[in-house]
Amino acid sequence: MKTSKLLLIFGILFVVGLAIYFPGRKIARKHVNTKTAVEDHPLLCISCHLYTSKNPLVSKLINADYYSPFNMAVSKNGDRLYVVAQEANTLMVVDPESHKVLNKIKVGEYPHSVVIDDRGEKAYVSNQWSDNVSVIDLAKSKVVDTLLTGNGPAGLSLSADDKLLYIVNSFSSDVTVIDLNTGEERKRFTAGNNPTGTQLSPDGKTLYVTSRRALLAPYGDTLKSELTVIDESRQRVTERKTIESAYIMENIAFTPGGDLAIITLIRPKNLVPSIQVEQGWMMTYGIGIVEQKENGRVIQLLLDEPNAYYCDPFDIVISPDGKKAFISNSGVNCISVVDIDSVRSLIAEATPEVVKTYSNNLGISSRYVIKRIKTGADPKGLVLSPDGKRLYVAEQLEDRIGVINTETLEKINSIDLGGPRRITVARQGRRLFNNSGHTFQNQFDCYTCHPDMHEDGLVYNMASKDMGRNLTNTQSLRDIGDTPPFKWNGKNQTVYKQDGMRFSTVLTRTEQFSYNNLDAITAYIITGIHYPPNLQYNPEGKLTESQLRGKDLFERSKDNTGKIIPENNRCITCHPPPYFTNLKLASVGTLAISDDSIQFDTPHLNNIFASPPYLHDGRAATLEEIWTKYGKEDKHGLANDMTKNQLNDLVDYLKSLRAPAYEHKSSKLYHASF
Amino acid sequence: MNRNRAALSLLLIVAIGLFTIFFSSCRGKSMNGMVILTQYAGEIKKGNYFSGDSWRYISQANIVAIDPGKPEKPVKLLTGGFYSALSPDISYDAGSMLFSAQQKQNDPWQIWEMNLNNMKIKQVFSSLENCIDPAYLPGGRILFSKIDMKETMKAGHSLYTCNLDGSDLKRVTFNPHTYFASSVLKDGRVVTISRQLFPDNRDPVLMVLRPDGTKSELFYKGLEGSILQSRIRETTNGNIIFTESDSDTLSGGNLISVKYNRPLHSRVNLTSEIKGSFGPPFPLNSGKLMVSYRSPEAKTYSLYEFDPDKKSLGSVLYSNADYNVLEAVAVETHDRPKKLPSEVDFGVKSGLLFCQDINFTDPLSVSSVSVLNAGMIEVLGIDSTLGVVNVEKDGSVYLKVIADTPFRIQTIDEKGKVLNGPGGWIWLRPNERRGCVGCHEDREIVPENRLSMSVKNPPVVIPVHISKIAEKKISLE
Repeated sequence: MKTSKLLLIFGILFVVGLAIYFPGRKIARKHVNTKTAVEDHPLLCISCHLYTSKNPLVSKLINADYYSPFNMAVSKNGDRLYVVAQEANTLMVVDPESHKVLNKIKVGEYPHSVVIDDRGEKAYVSNQWSDNVSVIDLAKSKVVDTLLTGNGPAGLSLSADDKLLYIVNSFSSDVTVIDLNTGEERKRFTAGNNPTGTQLSPDGKTLYVTSRRALLAPYGDTLKSELTVIDESRQRVTERKTIESAYIMENIAFTPGGDLAIITLIRPKNLVPSIQVEQGWMMTYGIGIVEQKENGRVIQLLLDEPNAYYCDPFDIVISPDGKKAFISNSGVNCISVVDIDSVRSLIAEATPEVVKTYSNNLGISSRYVIKRIKTGADPKGLVLSPDGKRLYVAEQLEDRIGVINTETLEKINSIDLGGPRRITVARQGRRLFNNSGHTFQNQFDCYTCHPDMHEDGLVYNMASKDMGRNLTNTQSLRDIGDTPPFKWNGKNQTVYKQDGMRFSTVLTRTEQFSYNNLDAITAYIITGIHYPPNLQYNPEGKLTESQLRGKDLFERSKDNTGKIIPENNRCITCHPPPYFTNLKLASVGTLAISDDSIQFDTPHLNNIFASPPYLHDGRAATLEEIWTKYGKEDKHGLANDMTKNQLNDLVDYLKSLRAPAYEHKSSKLYHASF
Repeated sequence: MNRNRAALSLLLIVAIGLFTIFFSSCRGKSMNGMVILTQYAGEIKKGNYFSGDSWRYISQANIVAIDPGKPEKPVKLLTGGFYSALSPDISYDAGSMLFSAQQKQNDPWQIWEMNLNNMKIKQVFSSLENCIDPAYLPGGRILFSKIDMKETMKAGHSLYTCNLDGSDLKRVTFNPHTYFASSVLKDGRVVTISRQLFPDNRDPVLMVLRPDGTKSELFYKGLEGSILQSRIRETTNGNIIFTESDSDTLSGGNLISVKYNRPLHSRVNLTSEIKGSFGPPFPLNSGKLMVSYRSPEAKTYSLYEFDPDKKSLGSVLYSNADYNVLEAVAVETHDRPKKLPSEVDFGVKSGLLFCQDINFTDPLSVSSVSVLNAGMIEVLGIDSTLGVVNVEKDGSVYLKVIADTPFRIQTIDEKGKVLNGPGGWIWLRPNERRGCVGCHEDREIVPENRLSMSVKNPPVVIPVHISKIAEKKISLE
């Protein structure tokens, strides 16, 4: 009796299970197919519902806190390495001999660079997301002062006498000079667009500041980026060198003799139809040789080879004997070693006509690149030991410092910083994001066009139908997880679709991501990319009077004459908080003749101040131009009735918009590092 | 009683399980670690690049397997049922082998696949014409050369791909060249020996193209008059190796290495100091090579180990006084090349070609013609012109060309005088979009980042006598 009852229950359960399983599986299949735009993605619920979860508890469980070493400095006698652990908001003090982490000193948010004074007493750490510099007493291993800076302090340089600190403000695009005796700001210079790297010449007279974004210009104009030259003794900008057809000039180094300065750079092909990857058709990477003499030339040389690209050059250091330059190629996990004498002889013998072709010649690198040294994931900052015998490499996504013998040019060791051993799904996603292994011949990675997971400020000819049509302004990836659909035309409903098969067909042109990797990169994009605080326009969450007036205009329902504005022509209708997008498509009257007939995905507006140019094809250089030049028919919100002051207020308000996490600090999400 | 019955049932189930495991493990014997090669008796006759005779169609050749670790073991004949068999290629999982073979003397050469676990053979693709030099492509497809005797394009062997069951046959080359001895690079592209046959015969070169036939480009050009012979092999350290001869014997030559990263300018002759003749090489996981070699004194090729770093011959791996030993391949798993996505869309009848500046010549290239100032280009077909097209002031030109049609381009000045060209044969696959920097000599030049005038307007349709190519609507990406 009992057995038969059990059997009956079991049988019912089995039948119910079958009844649920087959239709359930069918529904699940349909759901996954819709989300991924393919029909064979594994039916794995955790792909979406766990790895991309923003629930604080789940996020804490599945993620881990990494250090992510970024930049470094070394003590004068070489017995200490100072490592900026960017995601741990820490300066780590490391003994390079024993490989031990001796100290972890808490600094500000998202530290960028560190410099040590000549006496080895103080370290200065720029905190890019705090708008300040931490002053650290190295004997006490303690922050003893905090110096206020411009927005997004990044590269640092001390004057030769250690009395002045030059701070490159990457967000406000200027350079702050701080008198270290008083701690007061002495001067501020305008620099290039999104400057970061800086280096003082060996004679202590000239300071160079590199910039990452190109200067804003209409699509079709030659790309130009600024290299700012500062006379250190007078603290004046003496020259703004224009580096043509290049951008993302991350860092710079001088030869010890001071005859050359060498910058890392990227030469994009955004004006060329993106119809192929072969033959350097999308991106090339190189160095800029800045001759330090009267009428000195700036000569660009590629680091790439005809069938191999050395993506995302980041840092550069030059050996004390001036013979070798070491360049970290973050996107391909290697260090390129350049023989500087070969560069000297190459450029000495070249006519101006020939020099010009070097910058587009993939074969020329064989004359000066003498070695490619493999490193761990995402090599960033470099520093040489004082005797030049060791090169230390910050392997950002490895939580390690690689050690390279500069004579044998072999990696001889790794210093483990003690980060988590396990590689979480999102961390794997970040590694993929920063690595060009999933692009044909490693020509570019996600990070190349989305530096800092943001956007590079360029408009690309994506050649989606015909060449020369459908120009595309690169969009930021910050906090986009909750703002589907994606792409300007909103054609991709999910990140899975965005980065799936079609992505590999039209962009990377190599084998698509495996589904495990697609899950990983999606998890990272959805959960791991955050906005920096908007300290420039909204540091405290308290709007200025102008911004408040602008907010009223943004939310208004009547125009200046008191007439009701149709609901679909009010700013707030299509751009409601918290992301300031209604996630819908719209027509705003900015379709170009060269565009196919499409509507536009309503973009999110947080931190919009940091994303010029504007509109889908980048035609508006400023927010104001959206209405003054390209909104004359009032199709992009009614704005033509506004006075100039009102428009200023509206723009002020737009610039104040910031991520929801900063608006609701009490409900701040668990902020794992990735 | 019930207990006994249950125990008995359990025992029976376990026995059946063990029995199944036992027999399934005996299903076939793995050939991992073996070396498979082609052997044949006698001299190879002087070959012909057009017909492939007799270089790619060796009569009465056999594919055999040897165990290099056990030289005392007899050679295992794998293709006993065939009149002649050649060109073995091992799958990425080392579980099967493709080869080309004739069943009987006058049969056409066909593509076959052998399961290396159970030695079963199946014909992959059936054709009345010769099909040779098969190679595995990632994604369950294969690549091979096929001669089309009804061809009007004046081609020799063209490249084809199909599924492993012979379905979905696709021709992927469309110019008057002949293609032989193809293999697949790790980046997923096909590298193949290619020789122009029309309007004149040119030296063979190595071409690379995507498996769908798009983005065909020059990979390597040998010394003038040299003959490329063997299937191309990629080593684990980024080198490409093959044999090249400065004569036209087609039976052997020097072992050449070029770097994958820069193949056009990194040629190294690995065997310049060794007298004798080398046949097809094969890279081993150890970093060394297996290579066929015949000393000046020997009558036949034997299989040797070769150290490419020291450029020296090692020990003999296999030798048979009666047979030449060629095309050795190791039966071992190897990395699958990348499976490249395809932009080909057979609903589209044309491809797009953009040239940034037809007047661009690289000043580093010694053979550059003097500064050009062409205002037009002429697009030449096989038998007739396809039209003359004005070039924009910046030298750019943008064409929409009927797909799978070979053409060449020559530049013309405003007086109608031909300035340069015609260049090499090009074809565009349906929906292919392709760019070139200019009509220059050096393929290491990348485009300048500038907006070209020609792409601001619709492309010029080629042939120019038709006003429109009927296309399906392409969805916007």
